[in-house]
Amino acid sequence: MENTRQFFDGWLQSQGRILEGIMDMTRKYQESFRFPGAAGGVMPPLGGFPDGYASWLSAIQKALLGTGAGDSDLVRETLSKTLSSSNAYQMLYEMWNPLFKAIQEKTFSPDSYMDMIDPKKYKEALDRVFGFDPEIVSQGAMQASKLFEALTGSAQEFMKPWVEASMKNVKTIPLLMEGKPNAYMQAYNNLFNAFDSTFGRVFHVPPVGKDREKVKMLLGSFDDLSVYLAKYTEYQHTMYVTGLAALEKVIASVTEKCNKGEDPKCFDEFFDLWVDVSEDTYYHLFQSAAFSKLQGELLEAALNVRGHNFKLMELYLYDYPIALRSEMDDLYKTVYDLKKRLKSLEGQPGEVAA
Amino acid sequence: MNTTYTANAFSNFVKELGDVSTKLVKGAEVLTKFDDIDVGTAPKELVYEEDKLQLYHYTQEGPVTCTTPVLIVYALVNRQYMLDLQPDKSVVRNLLQHGHDLYIIDWGYPTKADMYTSLDDYINGYLHNCVNLVRKRSGKDKINLMGICQGGTFCAIYSALYPEKVKNLMTLVAPFDFSTNDGLLFNWSKNMNVDAMVDTYRIVPGDFLNAGYLMLMPFTLNLRKYVDMLDVIEDKHKLLNFLRMEKWIFDSPGQAGECLRQFLKDLYQENKLVKGELKVGDKTVNLKNITMPLLNIYAIADHLVPPSATKPLNDLVGSTDKALYEFKGGHIGVFVGTKSQKELAPAISKWLHERDGNGALSGRVEDKKPEESLENATRETPRPQSGGAGRKSKRR
Repeated sequence: MENTRQFFDGWLQSQGRILEGIMDMTRKYQESFRFPGAAGGVMPPLGGFPDGYASWLSAIQKALLGTGAGDSDLVRETLSKTLSSSNAYQMLYEMWNPLFKAIQEKTFSPDSYMDMIDPKKYKEALDRVFGFDPEIVSQGAMQASKLFEALTGSAQEFMKPWVEASMKNVKTIPLLMEGKPNAYMQAYNNLFNAFDSTFGRVFHVPPVGKDREKVKMLLGSFDDLSVYLAKYTEYQHTMYVTGLAALEKVIASVTEKCNKGEDPKCFDEFFDLWVDVSEDTYYHLFQSAAFSKLQGELLEAALNVRGHNFKLMELYLYDYPIALRSEMDDLYKTVYDLKKRLKSLEGQPGEVAA
Repeated sequence: MNTTYTANAFSNFVKELGDVSTKLVKGAEVLTKFDDIDVGTAPKELVYEEDKLQLYHYTQEGPVTCTTPVLIVYALVNRQYMLDLQPDKSVVRNLLQHGHDLYIIDWGYPTKADMYTSLDDYINGYLHNCVNLVRKRSGKDKINLMGICQGGTFCAIYSALYPEKVKNLMTLVAPFDFSTNDGLLFNWSKNMNVDAMVDTYRIVPGDFLNAGYLMLMPFTLNLRKYVDMLDVIEDKHKLLNFLRMEKWIFDSPGQAGECLRQFLKDLYQENKLVKGELKVGDKTVNLKNITMPLLNIYAIADHLVPPSATKPLNDLVGSTDKALYEFKGGHIGVFVGTKSQKELAPAISKWLHERDGNGALSGRVEDKKPEESLENATRETPRPQSGGAGRKSKRR
């Protein structure tokens, strides 16, 4: 088929046939893993390949991990890791398919690939690899949001930096629309700077009154959290930009192979290529002094949040009849010193009796 | 133009999905047949306990042909059963078959009660007591030390502090020169706020360290490994070996805060060991005090402890009988690879047997360089660490 239209029609028809096949196959699988809650014990009808895959994954997970044979921790742990990996594998496939189609139709250019991929899917795949937890960031953002609400009434004069940030961000909208990752980072930085120079200053206000120590610590914990969120965003941004750079390399490599007539024969070949190229690209990032510094700063910011939390907990729990962390530390130190002294007095301990 | 590719790719993916489903179902059935993942199965006897530490003596069923006992000292990170992970690929069983008398330290799992346990406690306390006990049991003034990874660093420090108690020193994939940036861990640790980490955690969790290890090869270790697992999931024997490795990788004790603080700050960040500035307790460590025979083993593709961190030891010690052994593999391949069983363990055994007399090397030409006493010993410069190329999923 030399003609592109012919190819496209053929491709559509074959995809349709395959979809029918997979629907049929999925239904058969679902019959093996009956859902007690669903009508007739079988999953409801499906729509499209991704739904089919999701249902398949869900069916497998529920059937194997829920009850019966899959009850042991070993089975659960092993299969959950495998299923999680295969899910990332499928996300990569969904992202990759239109790219390859474009390469085949010769509508692809290195500048246009960003229009074809769904960054959300790529982000999800990278999230699975790096174990990022967007939940943590969301929680932090929600806490900050609640704080904004509480402070808004008395912070009218603080609006100027926000207006300036908004003006700057308006200029980045065209780049945002194009999905340029640096534009997102710039917009985030503008907002964070506005936050830091307005509400952020509240965190450093010297508190007064009976509970000043608690208030100071509470404000300090918000400050730590905002620093952590900023650093975490910078870290994730670095990861995604590197991921996209890796993707460009993968695409260049596949295009070159296609032009030579050595295109990958199955998805696994593409997957291996993607893993190898990504691994090398990230290795060069990880090896850099800048990344080491950023990672060190992120760790320190996270530890500050955690450490601050522990201190706050101690303050709140002080009146309860429980041993606090610092008190246990003292106890451990005493036990350690006593044991050491005892050992020096006893000399070499004896063998275990047979 | 290959016009059928996309359709074929989709078709292949559908087929793969079907294959995966079948494998998962069959694999789940195989998985439920395992009661436990058995590791460290070579017979042994507990001979000494101190706090969380346990010292084991392996049961030698054959004749002991090398009279000086060997004390194996593993790292505090992960567990010592790596040396006996599976019966058919066990350095321990291999050395037992070669007539060695083996002891091994199990450092245990520190809890918050151990947060003040220091490097001084580990070396001048626990390790020193174990050495003395093995000396007493064997009736020997000196014993052989075999240190693995961080345990190798411990053994070198111990040998410098107590040279009169060590007959031969063997170090495997152990770091000594921490100034290198070849390994990511060495690069990353330079910017780590160690005090904040230890003060926050007290006992730094194994999971925290594992997150760092997984980051060394994130795509391979988080993704490809489990996709590849499907290829062996129906084969009970291969799956069991995969699960043994998986168990070992994530069986990571927490790290006693004070010890980790000094190890990271004095060694990783300030490289005090090679500078002769390291103090353990009230003793300063001078590597020139290591005068006993030294066998220093490094792995050419080691991404955790690169050769550039291991090799300098031989230039820093006072020993005249010293050898470098280049293992053609990675950090873990040293213990579980086929080459490890066929080449490395027999070479270690030979080296020890040659030095089992009263100080003199048996069967050795007087003017032969020490390095030449090992068939595979080399002073060649290894190729630079490539980072990603050729790395396999089961390496750590």
